[in-house]
Amino acid sequence: MASTQHVLLSPAELAYLHSSLSQTPPIRPDGRTATQFRPLVAETGILPGTNGSARICFADGTEAIVGVKAEVEATGRQEEEGDEEGEGGSGNGNGNGSDWVEMSVEIPGVRDDDSGTAFLAAMLSEAVVADGGLVGRLRINGRFHWKLYLDILLISPPLSYPLPLLSLTTHLALLATRLPRLKSEGDEDPFFDDDWAAATYLYPRGEKRTRRPPVTLLVMAVGKNIIFDPSKEELAVADVTLAVSVGEESKPDSEKQKRGRRLKLVAVRTVDPPSRLTPPGVPNAVNAAYGAGGRQKQTGPRPVEPEAVEGVWRAPRGGAKPVVMAALVQKTLEAGGVADEVLDALDGVDLG
Amino acid sequence: MPITILAPKPVRSTHSKPATHIRNPSSSSIDSDDAPGGANLASPGPGNPDIMDFISSTAATRRTDVDIVTPGETITDDPQWMRGHGTYTSQPTSSSDTLPAIISSVAGTLTRTNKLLSVRPLRARYTPEVGDLVVGRIVEVQAKRWRVDVGATQLASLPLSAINLPGGILRKRTETDELQIRSFFAEGDLLVAEVQQLYQDGGAGLHTRSLKYGKLRNGVFVAVAGMGGGGGVVRSRRQVWTLDAANGGGQVDVILGVNGYVWISKHVETPETANTTTGITNLEESVSATMYSSQNDQIGVETMREIARLRGVVTALVENGLRVDEDMVMRGYHEAVEMALLTGDADDIYLGGEKGEQLAAALMAV
Amino acid sequence: MPLDTSAYSLALLRVDGRRWNELRRIHAQIRTQAAADGSSYLEMGHTKVMCVVTGPSEPGPKRGGMTGGVGGGGGERSSTADVSVSVVIAGFSSVDRKRRGRGDKRTLELQSTISSALAASLHTHLHPNSTIAISLHVLSQDGSLLAALINAATLACIDAGIPMTDYVVACTAGSTSTYAANDEGADPLLDMNHQEEQELPSLTVATLGSSDRVAVLVCESRVQVSRLEGMLAVGVDGCKQVREILDRVVREKGRRMIQEGTIEKGMSLDDMDID
Repeated sequence: MASTQHVLLSPAELAYLHSSLSQTPPIRPDGRTATQFRPLVAETGILPGTNGSARICFADGTEAIVGVKAEVEATGRQEEEGDEEGEGGSGNGNGNGSDWVEMSVEIPGVRDDDSGTAFLAAMLSEAVVADGGLVGRLRINGRFHWKLYLDILLISPPLSYPLPLLSLTTHLALLATRLPRLKSEGDEDPFFDDDWAAATYLYPRGEKRTRRPPVTLLVMAVGKNIIFDPSKEELAVADVTLAVSVGEESKPDSEKQKRGRRLKLVAVRTVDPPSRLTPPGVPNAVNAAYGAGGRQKQTGPRPVEPEAVEGVWRAPRGGAKPVVMAALVQKTLEAGGVADEVLDALDGVDLG
Repeated sequence: MPITILAPKPVRSTHSKPATHIRNPSSSSIDSDDAPGGANLASPGPGNPDIMDFISSTAATRRTDVDIVTPGETITDDPQWMRGHGTYTSQPTSSSDTLPAIISSVAGTLTRTNKLLSVRPLRARYTPEVGDLVVGRIVEVQAKRWRVDVGATQLASLPLSAINLPGGILRKRTETDELQIRSFFAEGDLLVAEVQQLYQDGGAGLHTRSLKYGKLRNGVFVAVAGMGGGGGVVRSRRQVWTLDAANGGGQVDVILGVNGYVWISKHVETPETANTTTGITNLEESVSATMYSSQNDQIGVETMREIARLRGVVTALVENGLRVDEDMVMRGYHEAVEMALLTGDADDIYLGGEKGEQLAAALMAV
Repeated sequence: MPLDTSAYSLALLRVDGRRWNELRRIHAQIRTQAAADGSSYLEMGHTKVMCVVTGPSEPGPKRGGMTGGVGGGGGERSSTADVSVSVVIAGFSSVDRKRRGRGDKRTLELQSTISSALAASLHTHLHPNSTIAISLHVLSQDGSLLAALINAATLACIDAGIPMTDYVVACTAGSTSTYAANDEGADPLLDMNHQEEQELPSLTVATLGSSDRVAVLVCESRVQVSRLEGMLAVGVDGCKQVREILDRVVREKGRRMIQEGTIEKGMSLDDMDID
């Protein structure tokens, strides 16, 4: 369970935000609709020394840069048992794919081994590897494979939960990644074409497109409303927050392809909303500073759990109903819905 | 389209190679060929001819480019000037008899008040001055005071003795008040206050000893980043006002803190505006009843929508580099309401991105 | 050999086509991040560095500590601002991908050098009891790393409006032949790239603006003392050139801001008569 930075808001603001987001349709602080994303600036190909790179800036100033580098590595021998990093096993030479992709996340002001950072890295890499086809494309020949290193840098201090920003940037960087064209044959030591223009895309584009890297979106629910791309104030009053990883499924059936892509759910993680850490508001009835007298004695023992009072903020307790979670996931994945639009938009980014 | 991805804006880069010539934007008639950087190889030196172009043209434009001063630049050595913020004096060397010069320590514009020279930086955090109306957030509760974040370089202090205690302004402060200090303001609370004094190190001391100051509720908070030289909230006559929102929104209060923190809320009745027939002593009691409440009143959907629209207007003004004061905000609001009417959708209150730029363009054109 | 000795003595051109006293292409921008107090992006040749400055601001309340203490009782209030620097070298910055942990000695040394270099120029006495946090990211390395980091940090501090005595500008200088060759006629070189730094002796020097006052001098290779002065002189001269370039960038940005009306025009330097 990941948690976000504690956002400092007063109970009055939280109560206002919660009631404003509970309306139908929800009134978001910046006026967006429930499925509208904030405009973002995206560019690729900014680091010529890497195999692929991308940079995304959100409107609130948060920025991330991802660089992908690939190095040739020898595949472990098949007959080797035991702890060779999980490689080996079956005879097809395809080691444990998750070791062929290594991801590191750097967030300013946070230690390397911080639990939040490690969790982010794990979530992002699991989503990338879950797409089984990637590992196959990293294989060069029976003895060698490409090892992909994804270095994710968050440039701005983490004001809001960085997962969607990092995930979108990683997706773009992977789309832009190219590997040099192989010139050797069979199982000999690999050598490649020096001409970078002949390099092939890791995720083939256009006609040959079969798969795309997954993308992780943050979606939250307040009351009955489902809200996408929440800002940090909105997260502070969420009842439920989910990180949904969405991948694309390729269908050999050409008919299905004409109808558009089919999305598949790769992972769902709950995110501990910062609303749990917020101080509760004090209703006027028990507010010592309220009222002209201000100092009446408490007549009886104060109730331990004050009931919910209108206009007073109370942190959400307990978990979310499965119905709500299912609705969140379903809304993300529906055809023509948010995930579709996001993947389409990322596709349209010019790969420099 | 729920998601808009923009291409990055092309940057007018300044390279050190002659391929891109330096153009002086303030005099657009000068062609790039006229720039003195052309082929000025007259000055000897080991430097690269390109760099020499640079240096000579910089020196030549310096006289025309007099609007900006940068750190380390000598402003004057005339002894009659006094130095203000953003400058420092150089120590005269004992050997020569040069007078101490006033040198700029930040990059910004030069301002002069009588004999005082100061430099206003292009961007800096808010610097508190006595009498400023600010919106702040409590970050720390200490024994007899609160520490308030006002967006300045230092946290401001609000002593317990500087607030209105419920039960009458003349009530004596007791130990119970100190023990119950959190019942007045707790961490995270927003308040509006005035800067009463400035301490030695530049920190501010606040007070809320007026009926129009105190804890804030029933609304939303916006932080306008990047104050200092301009762009952002400016000090003007009226920082707090009430407006009648369109579309049945009722009355909405707007508080523009000079420090760039803005509060927009549903109008809260203060005794000054309320039409009461109570006497003076009762006035204090009715004030204190609601002063430290954390409970929001019932707010209607239309009001919420208009509050969100106002917040969008303020953000759009900031994103497009316009100043934020009562006049601009009111005009922007009316413009936004009209724009929403034109699109025929009264629910459409989003003012980011393109719509914000449209709004800003409309305001600048007037 | 980065200096192909036969070609060098004929045409006096380095591998990338520069002469001994030519700087690489410098590209700089300030205010690259609107949300931060100050930000900058700098390229010296292929060395690309980004910098974000936060502050001066007061460090947050101590967690779990004595928030109830009388003001200032818990910690000491310092009379000057603290300059804290963090350098993140991305794994993809060099040709071989190399992951560097936070506790890497090299990184710590860079941080400490940059911190003391800037603290020498920033007017920290104007902001007591606060912290200036400088965060640097290295996107690509091709020699002159410390110099690029110092220049980027200076630009970002200027963008943040932190008062300082003058620009702290840095650049590298080297010598055309190695220590072992003991070549008396070796020329100094300006602005070393990665290949040159590995093979030839080099040093990084930072000065305070256009003066000759040296703020930082780092030399980690072996070189004869007789050559040192020549390298230093070339380095200081290079710093002057860098300062002019950075100054131009700042003025451009300021001018553009005035044009766009973001800030108001001030008075001009010419108009200094007292009436």
